Amino acid sequence: MHSPVVVVSDLSVERSGRLAVDKVSFELQSESETAVVGPNGAGKSTLVAALLGLLPRTAGRVQILGQQLSPNGDLPGAIRSQIAYVPQSLALQGRFPLSVAEFVGFGFDPPGPRWPWQQHRKRKNAIEKALDRTGCIDLRNRLLSELSGGQLKRVMLSFCVVRPRQLLVLDEAQAGLDVPSNERFQQLLLELRRQEGWTVLHVSHDLDMVRRSSDQVLGLNRRLCCSGSPDHTLTPERLVDLYGPNMVPYRHQCHG
Amino acid sequence: MVDTQALALVLAEPFMQRALIGGLLTGALGGLLGSVAVLRELSFFSDALGHSALLGITVGILIGVNPTLVLIPFAVVFAILVNQLVERSSLPTDALLNIVYSTSLAAAILFLSLVESYRGGIRQLLFGDILGVSTLDLIVIGMLLAAALIYLCLSLRAQVLLTLNQELAGAVGVQTRWHRLAFIVLLAVVVAVSIKAVGVLLISAFVVIPACAGRLLCRRFPLYVFVSSILGGTCALLGLLASGLTNLPSGPSVVMVQFLGFLIALILSSRIFRRPSTTALDPQI
Repeated sequence: MHSPVVVVSDLSVERSGRLAVDKVSFELQSESETAVVGPNGAGKSTLVAALLGLLPRTAGRVQILGQQLSPNGDLPGAIRSQIAYVPQSLALQGRFPLSVAEFVGFGFDPPGPRWPWQQHRKRKNAIEKALDRTGCIDLRNRLLSELSGGQLKRVMLSFCVVRPRQLLVLDEAQAGLDVPSNERFQQLLLELRRQEGWTVLHVSHDLDMVRRSSDQVLGLNRRLCCSGSPDHTLTPERLVDLYGPNMVPYRHQCHG
Repeated sequence: MVDTQALALVLAEPFMQRALIGGLLTGALGGLLGSVAVLRELSFFSDALGHSALLGITVGILIGVNPTLVLIPFAVVFAILVNQLVERSSLPTDALLNIVYSTSLAAAILFLSLVESYRGGIRQLLFGDILGVSTLDLIVIGMLLAAALIYLCLSLRAQVLLTLNQELAGAVGVQTRWHRLAFIVLLAVVVAVSIKAVGVLLISAFVVIPACAGRLLCRRFPLYVFVSSILGGTCALLGLLASGLTNLPSGPSVVMVQFLGFLIALILSSRIFRRPSTTALDPQI
């Protein structure tokens, strides 16, 4: 029996002076994949920010890897080092003088001050291995700003896999990817999740992908409207409840 | 053809020696901080800081205190207040900064017009007087350069991740608020200290141009920071030498040399990096 990696009880979080997440409770079982779905402004990114320790809680309790978090949201270093995060985008306007290998190396480094010339063999090996595992080894000397959307997302997974972690949080990581890139990213994520034993929490608007890949779905619209398996949660009635009457659910029927 | 005798005469003057060292240090400092400021889209912020510095000098004159002593605390407080304004306001940052810097400039000019003895000094404040740099100024700029270098070297990972994505930086343990504030305060101090040599109108060129040239040439972040700083210092040195030889104003001469450096970087980058995978300045990891 897998134990819960994250236990959230009656969590409420304010953002910009309004209650963005209201009394939300759920658990993430070890090595499971959970999707958070809901309309824009439903509090999905706020929920993620609260779990990452970036926003204080207004009320409720959060336990990650058996440790109760303080109300101000600060994560202890030992817990933080077990969490990997993939944001929706990076600010790469224009030419950004940062190579792929350098970026991935930042995922390996511990927090705190460090001289840039401290390039240990262990660090270099970890970067090479991470890039190899995500199929990005040929990109290592490319600039981050020269990559396509799909390549950039795979490099961001290299950033996560460069050292062992237990929890992976993705905030609309697949946004902006075309269908083949999305499929490739999802396949890579699945492989890495199995190899690394990651517990995954991802915010997504791609309901078809959520249906195929998730073990649990949380339907959020400030409050938790529904939760459970994809088959139980992503029904036309529940989606209309979650997104409103204009929601027209469509399910792909792929054969062959 | 360079007149070597004239050059030797210029270099023999103590004020010119101080000016050259001051230019070298100020240019290197501007390039160093500019490398991060440009990526974080703070170019306009440094411009606003420069204009606010003029207001700080005016306040110093009006209350009868040495303007140099007022300038640094004024710039730091101003930078923190503007940062708070930008963070809390729902208006676009460039619009807010425009309001702040044009109001600062207007207030400073109005106050200066009230002070009879300073009417003739406005030109020096606007374009700088590198030849008036004292030994104490050199020590302060040197110490600032060392502090900025140590801070940026030790916090390189934090600076990069903070620039790329604030949530990502926070998720890996970067103290985002602290580093944002620390960088802005450092930038404010550097702008305040450099105003005397560079002038209010040209200070942003010292921050922006060498960093943009470095950005065109480099493919690794530490190298980019280093090259921007070296370009800043070298262009300032060459600009001052040219100014000494031709008897042209020092600040504008330096900016023109910086622009020339930028053009060379532009040409080199289009030749060197025509293919994305080419790595002329890119040592292996």
